[in-house]
Amino acid sequence: MMPVDVVVIGAGHNGLVAAGFLAKAGLKTLVLERSDRVGGCARLAHTAAIDPAIVRALALEQHGLQIIRPDADVCAPTADGRALTLWRDRSRAAQEIRAWSAKDADRYLKFLESFARISRVLRSVLGSAPPSIDDPTAGDLIELLKTGRAFRALGKPDAYRLLRWMPMAVADLVGEWFDSEPLRATIAAGGVLGSFLGPWSAGSAAVLLLLGAGEGQPVASGWYAKGGIGAVADALAAAARSAGAELRTSAEIAQVDVAADGAATGVTLASGEQITARVVASNADPKRTLLGLVDPIHLAPELVRRLQNIRTHGTLAQITYTVSSLPRFAGVQQPAACSGRIRLARDIDGIERAFDAAKYGGFAGEPWLELTMPSAADPTQAAAGRHVISAYVQYAPYHLRGTTWDAERDRLGDAATRTIARYAPGFESSVLARDVITPLDLERTYGLTGGHIFHGELALDQLFVARPLLGFASYATPIRNLYICGSGAHPGTGLTGRSGALAAKQIARDLKR
Amino acid sequence: PNGDHLWRVNDHARTQREIRRHSKLDAEAYDEYGKAMVEMARFVKPILNMTPPDPMSLNPRELMKLLFLGNRFRGLAEGDRYNQLQLMTMSAVDFLDQWFETDVLKATMSASGIIGTFLGVRSPGTAYVLLHHYMGEIDGAFRSWGFARGGTGAISNAIASAAREAGVEIRTKAPVARIRVTGGQANGVVLANGDELDADLVVSSVDPHLTFLKFIESRELPAEFVEEVRRYKFRGSSGKVNLALDALPNFTCLPGEGPHLRGALSISPSVDYMERAYDQAKYGEFSRRPYIDMVIPTLTDPSVAPPGKHILSCFVQYAPYKLASGTWDEQRDAFGDTVIDTIAEYAPNIRDIILHRQVLTPLDLEREFGLTEGNIFQGELTLEQLFFARPVPGWAQYNTPIKNLWMCGSATHPGGGIMGAPGRNAALRILTKS
Repeated sequence: MMPVDVVVIGAGHNGLVAAGFLAKAGLKTLVLERSDRVGGCARLAHTAAIDPAIVRALALEQHGLQIIRPDADVCAPTADGRALTLWRDRSRAAQEIRAWSAKDADRYLKFLESFARISRVLRSVLGSAPPSIDDPTAGDLIELLKTGRAFRALGKPDAYRLLRWMPMAVADLVGEWFDSEPLRATIAAGGVLGSFLGPWSAGSAAVLLLLGAGEGQPVASGWYAKGGIGAVADALAAAARSAGAELRTSAEIAQVDVAADGAATGVTLASGEQITARVVASNADPKRTLLGLVDPIHLAPELVRRLQNIRTHGTLAQITYTVSSLPRFAGVQQPAACSGRIRLARDIDGIERAFDAAKYGGFAGEPWLELTMPSAADPTQAAAGRHVISAYVQYAPYHLRGTTWDAERDRLGDAATRTIARYAPGFESSVLARDVITPLDLERTYGLTGGHIFHGELALDQLFVARPLLGFASYATPIRNLYICGSGAHPGTGLTGRSGALAAKQIARDLKR
Repeated sequence: PNGDHLWRVNDHARTQREIRRHSKLDAEAYDEYGKAMVEMARFVKPILNMTPPDPMSLNPRELMKLLFLGNRFRGLAEGDRYNQLQLMTMSAVDFLDQWFETDVLKATMSASGIIGTFLGVRSPGTAYVLLHHYMGEIDGAFRSWGFARGGTGAISNAIASAAREAGVEIRTKAPVARIRVTGGQANGVVLANGDELDADLVVSSVDPHLTFLKFIESRELPAEFVEEVRRYKFRGSSGKVNLALDALPNFTCLPGEGPHLRGALSISPSVDYMERAYDQAKYGEFSRRPYIDMVIPTLTDPSVAPPGKHILSCFVQYAPYKLASGTWDEQRDAFGDTVIDTIAEYAPNIRDIILHRQVLTPLDLEREFGLTEGNIFQGELTLEQLFFARPVPGWAQYNTPIKNLWMCGSATHPGGGIMGAPGRNAALRILTKS
């Protein structure tokens, strides 16, 4: 095959975003995907939150994307048979909260306002490449100044909040604002999603902030797509193709080829085929890319040690249920309440106890669950007369003690089913089929090291200038011409596509030099 | 409990040999770790000695301080930057996992990350506290700590005589009831016995709850400030058990008397043990098998007990101030029994040699020492309560919303640990500002 400018390893959402922008920049771009379809594990996600600027720049809506915003952000059936629905319409949400606490209802509106203002500053950080610490470029300094100005413009109360919140435990954060437990637990759950953190772990508030910053909203943090979340990947692929990128599926990479001078020269496929490229951009996580696809001879031992130390301990399992009828949650009056996420947690301590089990390599009998019921509003997503339900199950630690996920997969599925039935009696008998994807499956099938959906914990020491590694946060890696364009690079939060877009920008700039 | 032990001593070579018994790799890593921690402590030290900048101030001098911090970080070698970043944010266990493989070594080292905090060894933010305890300096030997002859009380006495010599008058048994504020200015204090003392400046070394919520009428303070003070977290998590002993405890792992009894004896057999102790506390119970740090001061300084008798002083964690059920007055004895049962698993003779026991719960620490919620650091050492945010964001420069009222206790930067830095920083600040 003819040499190309850029080979993108993996057609996850960030790989596709990067390919779209690279092709638009006039670079001959080839995306190689191991499986037989694009999207990677983005197809398992509950919501997407592609940066609106990316949606516009890649004209995703012209390429088939139809964004759906349900009336409810989150619905939380409670253990005592009531339900708290946080409607997208804030005053309606406040009205619901009032049933628990009038004070909380007022505070909720204030919290959302403050969160939205803080998110604006965070977006400015998340939307630009981290600066170089040693020789910041003029562009770096301008971005820093912009962020500094935005930070100061927040005014004292919000600015101090931003600084205080980042290292806090999300349980403390919601405790400072709210009295009613269902509200606390529902918001706090956003701080542990996909992370090896409990609500009482310091740093979980940062996850809530980072995941919510895109929408400026702590509980929405995303939208749905007509036809299912896979439609996001399809639109991204269509956009990349129309910009001129070539996409090949069922094309597994065996290694990144590195020349004697330490620069990447292309890739070798599992089939033996070699493809020469000026730049290789990997959508795989940093560990898999550098420790799995590059001959270790090209990496200094200290660097290998640091790469190994990137924390990628996955905790999230996903279950797809096919059911004969939608579950009926006690306390939920209107079907629209279940149009967004449904979060099932007894209380904050209930989530924390589920996390406790994971610390010792087990999983709790009553895991924390988040469900979506995509076929409720869009029947095309399931066969006639049936429905699909997707469940995130936490905590399912990648490292089990004394057993394996192959042995425990069904037990986890049973625990999830039982937990759902506790809130929606009769659920068990409606289940026709279920597909449990454990962190081990995420690693095997989707190539996520440790089954970590963010390609590495969203922890303070693994963010911004330190994502994936301090000194290598500008999408470049220690191997010249090899870049990271996935979630393992800044900002790396959820389905935003920002890592891919920023990596593409950096690559295009470097290739012009 | 497996009858083994790990003994770290002040003699580096011997400690190394001892660690090698558990793991060769760890013995080597221990060296590198020590060096790295010294570098980190060097980096942090000037920061501890500075008045924290206010990130929202427009004063160019404050901005210079922020720049100074940034440049100092840039000035570090790459490996040190990496360590520093991790130390500031990671959990003690995650941090130590990168260096060591021996569980018991990691467990006992991680213990210094949680002392006096309501966090577990796996909670992010505890690696920083690890460093906090490396910060001491004795006779120019960086990162060391020591016993004081005559007990820790002797340190206070020495500081007191130094103060007296410099011209300070010290009055004991003079509890303050109120700080007198007129027109937004502090001008003296009222004692519990009704005596009033006039002063140009009032400097409070007690925690912000006492200072601002008890000693001052809240109408004298801005409402947001009061709210922030209320939000300030104490969450005492430790207790103390002091035992008067008829003989020395006999440890199964190292029987008999010996130099091992002269240092700190730490019951922290595994990382999981430490974490489980925390899990129980999270839900409002004291640990059924707590982390215990014991010293026998009578071995280094026999003057504090009659001949042949000994004192075993135990620092015990976790003992949460807020219990899920019951009160500390009801649970005090059960807590003491738990501590003794735990020690007995390692030194079975302990029950037979106890002459007297004193159990101090967090509630007792609050009652007897005025430590709100029994927190020994006058407030948790968590990132959101450090530096410019200690005790309240925007009020970290030892000043308060009340003119002529200052703070100088552990609730100010850089926090607790019997190193005196908050007091010194505050004094310097007051001298330049008043």
